[in-house]
Amino acid sequence: MAYASKSPWVIHYDGSSCNGCDIEVLATLCPGFDGERFGVINTGNPKHADIFLVTGSVNAQNIDVVREIYDQMVEPKVVVACGICACSGGIFHDCYNVIGGVDKAIPVDVYAPGCAVRPEAIIDAIVQGIGVLEEKAAAMKSAKKGA
Amino acid sequence: MTILITLIGALLFAVLAPVVGCLLAGLDRVISARMQGRVGPPILQPYYDVRKLLGKERVSVNSVEGTYVACALVFACLAGGIFYTGGNLLLCVFVITLSSLFFIIAAYSSRSPYAEVGAARETLQVMSYEPMVLLMAVGFFMASGSFDVSAVFSLDAPIVTTVWLVFLGLLFILTIKLRKSPFDLSMSHHAHQEIVRGVTTEMSGPTLALVEIMHWCETVLFMGWVGMFFVWGSPLSVLVAVVVVLAVYFLEIWIDNNFARVKWQFMLKSAWAVALLAGGVNLAVLMFI
Amino acid sequence: MAMLGFLIVFPLVAALLLMVARQDKARDAIVWASAIIIGVASVALVAMNLGTQTVLFEFSSPVVDTICTLLSCVIVGVILAFAVKYKNVWAGVLGLAQLALSLYFELALAHGMSVPYGLYVDSLSLLMAFIIGVIGSGICVYALGYMKDFQAHEPEGARDRRPTFFAIMFVFLSAMFVIVFSNNMAWMFTGWEITTLCSFLLIGFTKTEEAINNAFRQIIMNLLGGIGFAVALILCATQVGTLSFYEFLVIGVSNPAIVTLAVVALAFAGITKAAQMPFQTWLLGAMVAPTPTSALLHSSTMVKAGVFLLVKLSPIMLVCPVPSLMVMLVGAITFLLCSFMAISQSNAKRVLAYSTIANLGLITACAGVGTPEAVWAAEFLILFHAIAKSLLFLCVGTAEHHIGSRDIEDMDLLFERMPRLARYMMLGIMCMFIAPFGMLVAKWATLVSFVDMNQIALIVILAFGSAATFMFWAKWLGKLAGIAGEPENVELTVHKSEWSAVLLMAVLLVVCCALLPLISTYMVEPYIVSIYGTLGQAVSADNLWIGSIAVALVVIVLFAGVGRASKARTVGVYLSGVSRDNAGRTFQNALSGESTATVRNWYMEGVFGEKRIAPVGVAFNTIIMVAAFVMAAIGMPMML
Repeated sequence: MAYASKSPWVIHYDGSSCNGCDIEVLATLCPGFDGERFGVINTGNPKHADIFLVTGSVNAQNIDVVREIYDQMVEPKVVVACGICACSGGIFHDCYNVIGGVDKAIPVDVYAPGCAVRPEAIIDAIVQGIGVLEEKAAAMKSAKKGA
Repeated sequence: MTILITLIGALLFAVLAPVVGCLLAGLDRVISARMQGRVGPPILQPYYDVRKLLGKERVSVNSVEGTYVACALVFACLAGGIFYTGGNLLLCVFVITLSSLFFIIAAYSSRSPYAEVGAARETLQVMSYEPMVLLMAVGFFMASGSFDVSAVFSLDAPIVTTVWLVFLGLLFILTIKLRKSPFDLSMSHHAHQEIVRGVTTEMSGPTLALVEIMHWCETVLFMGWVGMFFVWGSPLSVLVAVVVVLAVYFLEIWIDNNFARVKWQFMLKSAWAVALLAGGVNLAVLMFI
Repeated sequence: MAMLGFLIVFPLVAALLLMVARQDKARDAIVWASAIIIGVASVALVAMNLGTQTVLFEFSSPVVDTICTLLSCVIVGVILAFAVKYKNVWAGVLGLAQLALSLYFELALAHGMSVPYGLYVDSLSLLMAFIIGVIGSGICVYALGYMKDFQAHEPEGARDRRPTFFAIMFVFLSAMFVIVFSNNMAWMFTGWEITTLCSFLLIGFTKTEEAINNAFRQIIMNLLGGIGFAVALILCATQVGTLSFYEFLVIGVSNPAIVTLAVVALAFAGITKAAQMPFQTWLLGAMVAPTPTSALLHSSTMVKAGVFLLVKLSPIMLVCPVPSLMVMLVGAITFLLCSFMAISQSNAKRVLAYSTIANLGLITACAGVGTPEAVWAAEFLILFHAIAKSLLFLCVGTAEHHIGSRDIEDMDLLFERMPRLARYMMLGIMCMFIAPFGMLVAKWATLVSFVDMNQIALIVILAFGSAATFMFWAKWLGKLAGIAGEPENVELTVHKSEWSAVLLMAVLLVVCCALLPLISTYMVEPYIVSIYGTLGQAVSADNLWIGSIAVALVVIVLFAGVGRASKARTVGVYLSGVSRDNAGRTFQNALSGESTATVRNWYMEGVFGEKRIAPVGVAFNTIIMVAAFVMAAIGMPMML
């Protein structure tokens, strides 16, 4: 039984965005949707998190921040791009300062488009992310056994 | 002989306390969720969390943090063993303080700004609750005539009848000991009132799992302290104690969900005032009457 | 008895030799050799008399009496000379007053009274001899390396005054042996005065303005104590009719009324020497001296003479309420307030000083309670405090010479910069405040003895004081434990002699903690049985052994488990942003510049500051002591 899927702790970072998706992510984590039913906990610390929710696009200012948060998360970990800006840059994609979607900075596992992305879509993405997390955990386990 | 019993007790405690503590923690989360109008996680959620943490990659900011945390866990188990085998209450108090010290050093050793803030606050919390804890042990002695916990089983009436004021004092500092709001200064289970994550900022994966297990053990030990006040010669009294413990635990959850974190000044002053009033007055009355 | 004489005389010989020897090599050889001889001799003395009851030795000699009288004059003469040189009126006045009193005593009273049994040994003086002989001489060895560095820091062409320094250190040891072995109270008084003078010279050793001021503060306060002692001697001679300390104690226990005032006066002398509030400032001021001096004053000599006297008096305290209350309250209040003030200090030596005063306060309070359990606790407090504190002082002294500061904030990362030293320091700190180490076991016994005596005020004070103790030690420990980056190791240049002394203390500490139950059986209990006739032990042997197991565990973790390379992947710490230099805790700030995160410890000046707390203690304790004297003096004629 994979426990990775039973307790996905998330961390949330808002890049260069209009803050719409940001608000939706917080709304998703609020009691109304009760993510804790699935073991979801919102942490403020990358070292404790399993799933990285990024909203907004990546620009020259924040690309290092996104990378550092990702690097500090402990394996196995999953990145979910929330909203169209995080997926591809969205309406900001040709701004002078925007580099593009989050995948320009770090590997993204699940894309959840929308402007703004709806809580249902985020929950769906997290559930998909859990699947990826489980795969990665299993891979880690077998690598450990092999080694 | 006592030594052997204590060590076996510590081993048993190390096996059983996490089970009970885990269920209590799960209960805490379900009840908290219900108080907030949510469904909440399954009752085994803390267990899932720890299993997940144990399966994560082993990373650390330095080579010693894990060792210190392991020490903290070992001494928490030793304290539990001393208490539940009916050993010396003062020794139990001192050993659990040693456990907190190792936890504090673990955080300090990372030299991370956030963890250090947490560690300093944890130190302050220890300073805040320590007088009341010592006075509790003295109160226990005055009421039961012995520092040995096993003495409660030969009493005619539970000690709470004579040291009820000390019991109230213990309830007050219990909130600090369990790191619950409004006294969760060093680390909070709620993200909304936290500087990153306080003491455990730099602890991740398996190390964090050990910390969680240590908290379960601590909870079981402290609940034992609460129950101790309601046990006397009658075998039925253990049931009474369990009921009281559950009620107190519910009270702590209720407090946790209804108060926001306070400043350290208030915590220190109020905890010391309570120790002085509840502990001091109760003991003085016992001594002079 | 030959052994006692040897222990008293031999350090004097060593001191003479040291005065003559001017070469480093010769000095090294003499100090090493005499330290080893004194150490071995005191251990042999302890081993030969293990478990002894009080043994009095028939020894009286008019020559010694005359020497003592002369020494008293010389001591006051030296003090007067310094008082004139530095124009210090108070020191001069008090010196003259003491001279007058002691001359009156020696010439008018003591002449007719002989003490046939001049020397004695019991288990308490054995314990003290062990502390003085082993720890004291260990510190002398340490001083060799330390004073080399000290001399190197002196300006070019400064006169090398190390011969004097080492000579005084050894005279100090000799005087301490006199105090703990003399049954003749006049001789004891002489030893007492010699320690006062020696510490005056040692504190003022650097001859800076601050050092001289502090030295005079010390001499003024201790002269007050000396006057107390002299008054007590006169009372002994006139009212009690004996100068034998042993007889005095026996008479005191059976007839407390006639000794009340004498005991109050003696206790006052003990309190000044033990630097209890309001006299705490002299010990704080003593911090300006070179570190071996501080270590010597704090751990094995000087202040220990004060509490030794108080503990000896405790059987009388049990039956004599006035001095008992005075000593108890003064000690307890000092313990509480000095523990509080230690929180607000960042200077390592000041923290150590406050902690010393606080622990002496606890010992004093135990002596005031005076039950067998309390004395058991007091003896262990004395032993463990001596070892742990000297270890800490030596560590701080070495750290100071290698990192250039004695501020706790500058001891950041010491765990990597001076790996061995930091571990010793951590061991010493842990021993001072945390279970299952010796000090805490002693505190535990203290608590139990207070509970047995229904001393509610003392219990509450102990509870709060211990909490404060946790705070200031834990935060220091935390500072030491920090690890970041790979700082340069600066301990490679530490002198061999310093390592030997530090290692000696650390080994002693661990052995004593682990063998605590045995020490209790063979060294502490015999004294209690011989004095009280009953055994008082507050902590059961089983619990002591559980403590021993835990000690072993902690020591193994500290010295073998911590610091090995672990299997875990090492990562940087979380800085809430982009790290520029993670090992240096530098990150990119909101303006794309660099910021470095630094954390200072918590000192809570507003709550626990010296300015707020010290006056309270000084006022309280002064009132208590004045009241005790008044009550004893009023009670006196009524009793007679």
